[in-house]
Amino acid sequence: MFRKLKETLFIAYVCIFSIIALLPLVHIVFTVFANGIPVIFRGGTEFLTQSLASPGKGLGGIFPAIFGTFLLVFLSSLIGIPIAILAGTFIAEYPTSALSKSVRALLTIMLEFPTILVGLFVMAILVIPMGSFSAIAASLALAIVMLPYVATYTEQALRNVPQHYKEGAYALGLRKARVVFSVSMRIARKGVVTGLLIGVAKVSGETAPLIFTAGNAWRSVGGVFEPVGAIPLWIYYLVQQPYANYHEIAWGSAAVLLTLFLVIFIPLRVLTREVRV
Amino acid sequence: MNAIETRNLRISYGENEVIRGIDLDIPEKICFAIMGPSGCGKSTLLRAFNRLLELNPTAKVSGEIRFFEKNIYEMSEHELRRQIGMVFQMPNPFPHMSVFENVAYAVKCNRMAKSKKDLSEIVEWALKKSALWDEVKDKLKEKASNLSGGQMQRLCIARALALKPKVLLMDEPTANLDPISAGKIEELIHELKKEYTVVIVTHSPSQASRVADYIAFLYLGNLIEVGKLEEVFENPKNELTEKFLTGRMG
Repeated sequence: MFRKLKETLFIAYVCIFSIIALLPLVHIVFTVFANGIPVIFRGGTEFLTQSLASPGKGLGGIFPAIFGTFLLVFLSSLIGIPIAILAGTFIAEYPTSALSKSVRALLTIMLEFPTILVGLFVMAILVIPMGSFSAIAASLALAIVMLPYVATYTEQALRNVPQHYKEGAYALGLRKARVVFSVSMRIARKGVVTGLLIGVAKVSGETAPLIFTAGNAWRSVGGVFEPVGAIPLWIYYLVQQPYANYHEIAWGSAAVLLTLFLVIFIPLRVLTREVRV
Repeated sequence: MNAIETRNLRISYGENEVIRGIDLDIPEKICFAIMGPSGCGKSTLLRAFNRLLELNPTAKVSGEIRFFEKNIYEMSEHELRRQIGMVFQMPNPFPHMSVFENVAYAVKCNRMAKSKKDLSEIVEWALKKSALWDEVKDKLKEKASNLSGGQMQRLCIARALALKPKVLLMDEPTANLDPISAGKIEELIHELKKEYTVVIVTHSPSQASRVADYIAFLYLGNLIEVGKLEEVFENPKNELTEKFLTGRMG
C-alpha cells in the first residue's frame, strides 16, 4: 500500500518537473509566434524580399538579414565542418597520442568559450588588417564557434561504432583511411550529421561573434568581403532603436528565425535515419 | 607445405602474458581446430595470424609466425589480411551496405576486379561458395542488416572468400547462432576445407569433433596437446585434455 503510494508520488514528481522544464521552451515559441506572425502577415511577401523600412514608416522587409544568415551559415560551414570532422576523427582514432589529448582538451574549452571573445579575436586578426567588417570575417568567427560542437559529436559517433565492424573491415586488408571514412564514418553518420546540425543551428542563431566582425547591412546585400547582416544581429540592433515599427520588425524577424530553424532542422533530423547496428 | 607455422610464439597484453611460447604447424587444406576453455588465449592466437592484434596497442608479440614459409612481419599487414580471411564470433556485415556491396567492397578497394561484370561474377561466385546465393540472389540490393544471423555469418564468409584467400580464420563462428544456422556453417566448413585451410576457434569439443581434422588444445596460454582429431579424442596424452574433452573442465 505504502509502496504503491510512493510509486505514484514519484511518477507525479517526474511528470510535474518535466513539464516545468519544458515550460520556458513552450513559452518562448509561443511568445515569438504570437508577436511575430501578425507582423509577417501584415508585411506580406515584401517582409521577406524588401530591405529595412525608415524609422516610423511601416514594416519594409528583412531580406538583407535573411540573405546574410544563409551566406554566413554556408561560409562558416565551408570553413568549419571539414576541419571539425577531421579533428573529431583524429581524436577518435588516435585517442592515446599526446597531440590528440591536447586537441580534445582544447575542444572542451572551446565549447565553453565566451563567443564574444571569438568575435574580438577575429576582429584583431582579420577585420583590422582588412580595414573593414566582412562576411568572411564573420564566417570565420562562426566557424570557430561551430568547430568544437561538430568535432566532439564526430568523435563520439565514431567511438560508438562497435569494435567488431572495424575489426571486420581491417580483417579484409582495408587501409585505415578506408576503414575510417567508408565504414566507421558511414555507420556513425547519424551521430556525425546530428553534430553538423547542432553546429549549424548554433551558429545560425549566434549574435555575439558577429558584433565585431559582420558590420551589418540594412539595405543592401554584398559579397564575401563586404559587411553583412544577419537575422539575430538585426534583432539585437532593432530592439535598441526607439521606434515602434523597428520593434515590430524585430518580432517578425524572430518568428522568421524560429521558423527557419524548425523548417530546416526537424525534417533533417527525421531524414537522417539511423543505421541499425 | 604448412599454411601457418609458429615458433616460440609469445603474446602479452601489457604485463599479462596470454600465449606462452607456442610451436604450432597448421597443414594446408584441412580444418584445424583450436580448442580450450574461455580465457585460454585461443582468440588472441588467431588474431596474431592475420596481425589483427596490432589494432590493440597494448598487445606485444614475440617469436615467429610463418605464412606459407614466409615471415608474416616481412609482408604488409594489408596483403597478409587479404590472404588470410577472418570470420568473427559476432556476425559483422557492414550494416550500411547492401548484400552485394558487402561482398564487393573489399574486392573493389583492392582492385581485384577488372570490370563491373567481373565484379558481379566474383560476388556471385563468393555467395555460391558460401552457400548463400540461393537465399539472397533476389535481394542483393537489400541492406545486409535485414538478413538473419546465420545468413549474415555466411555473408561474412562470402566477403572473406571474395578476396581469394588461402586461409580462413574463424573465431567461434557459431557462438551467436541457433543450432540450425550453426549446422549450416559446419556443413560449409566441410566444403571449404577442400580448397582452403580453415582454422577454427571453438570452446566446444563436440563442434571440434564434427568439423576438424586436427586439434590443438590450449590451456592458460600453453599448448597442451596437438594432433590428428582421432588421436587426440581417442587417446589424449595429457590429463587436462581428457578432462576438457569429457566435460569435467570448461
